[in-house]
Amino acid sequence: MMISKRLPELQLLIVCTISCYIFLELFVASAALDGLFGFTGVDIIFISFLLSFFVAIISVVAGVGGGVIFTPLMLAFTSVDTLIIRSTGLVVAMFSGLVASGPFMRKGLADIKLVFLGALPILVGGFVGSMAAVSLSQHLGETGDSIVRIALGLLLLAIALVFIVGGASTEYPEHGKRSKLADKLKLRHMYWEDTLQKPVKYNVHNVKVAVILLFVVGFTGGFFGLGGGWAVVPVLNLVMSVPLKVSAATSGVLLAMGNSAAIWPYINAGALIGVVAAPWMLGQIIGGIVGAHVLSGIKAAFVRKLLIAMLFLTSLKLLSRGIEGLFNISIPFI
Amino acid sequence: MNKQKKPPIPISGVVYGEIIYWCTCISALVVIFGTIRSFLEVDSKIPVEYLLNAVFEGRSVESVWAGSALQKVPDALTYLAILSSGEAVTVAGISFGILSVGPAIFFSAAFMWRSKNEFFAVTALLSGTFAVVAPFVFFLI
Repeated sequence: MMISKRLPELQLLIVCTISCYIFLELFVASAALDGLFGFTGVDIIFISFLLSFFVAIISVVAGVGGGVIFTPLMLAFTSVDTLIIRSTGLVVAMFSGLVASGPFMRKGLADIKLVFLGALPILVGGFVGSMAAVSLSQHLGETGDSIVRIALGLLLLAIALVFIVGGASTEYPEHGKRSKLADKLKLRHMYWEDTLQKPVKYNVHNVKVAVILLFVVGFTGGFFGLGGGWAVVPVLNLVMSVPLKVSAATSGVLLAMGNSAAIWPYINAGALIGVVAAPWMLGQIIGGIVGAHVLSGIKAAFVRKLLIAMLFLTSLKLLSRGIEGLFNISIPFI
Repeated sequence: MNKQKKPPIPISGVVYGEIIYWCTCISALVVIFGTIRSFLEVDSKIPVEYLLNAVFEGRSVESVWAGSALQKVPDALTYLAILSSGEAVTVAGISFGILSVGPAIFFSAAFMWRSKNEFFAVTALLSGTFAVVAPFVFFLI
């Protein structure tokens, strides 16, 4: 409530969005969709909006982008075409970051120099990745979808492990040796830490390695429709020694930027269905603003523990569905 | 108690963030309008009930569009031709939010240059150019 009072535009968006869904529920005669438990089209988009709102808050605080939650869950538990899921996943990943860019920059939490250092590799990587995804889907069909599910299942396991290895101990990473390249580029910064009520200084390290890793992150983000924030946080935090909160904010800005190129191959392939993506986008925008304001006051490491559990469970389902599809077998209990 | 001073915030970052923030808010309003229009329009070339049914049935992208009145996968020109339809307005709203990244980077790059961070101004210019060119690559292939 306090947040919406300080941000009239957020109030306007919330009022418009809720009014839109109330109007549609009350005045539009929408038929029940086949095989969706009697839910109408309007019900489905309203439920999607609510889910997206909560996904956005969790993802902004964890610094992963909503795509890393949305895409695996949809690929694991629904029969929606994988290209449609991945294009919507990029919208989900992108819009929470886009709208959070304003508050993050205003508060000085996101480091603009790091953003422009990583922007090009992520943009190019994301674009190439999504071109590869569309091409694979068009040439291999359902076999390609099964391969994508297995690969994503394995990737999620790796992401969960990265989060476990880089836990709370990296909130303010220490690095003894100074980087010459980072010094030359003046990659040192300071931000105000609300929880400590003092400024925190940091120096950046391993610039070259990080740039290469960000290209790889962009590629996988575009290919799987995850965005790239899930891995940008570890790259910034563990490789470049950037404090966790700055890493989370910077990754939000970076992944939104990177996905802005990665989405176009999907749009060109007709995989972005407006009415499906719209409630997810709106939920991400409103949840993203709320999440960005919550971030400065809480410890991000706590939320990431919840995320790790979800990543493990979803990866199991993805692996089982991928193996079932590829070898035409049925795996019980999963 | 010794009260510490908050560090200055780079203007180039604030410029980037504000442009993106407000463009995203505008795109959200367009998307809301597009959603309402999708459900209200009659005799639409892309009926919303059909789209939702087809998507949640698990049909492929090609099959979803082949079954609509468009009978083919839409590209940017198709959407422009049916811009009054709810689906096209919704996609246009989403695209506006996405496209705002390019100009935001360019404005931020100008402030980056003024603050004597030439290297990052150049990387920003390159990134902005890529973000602006990416949607048009498919017209060249």
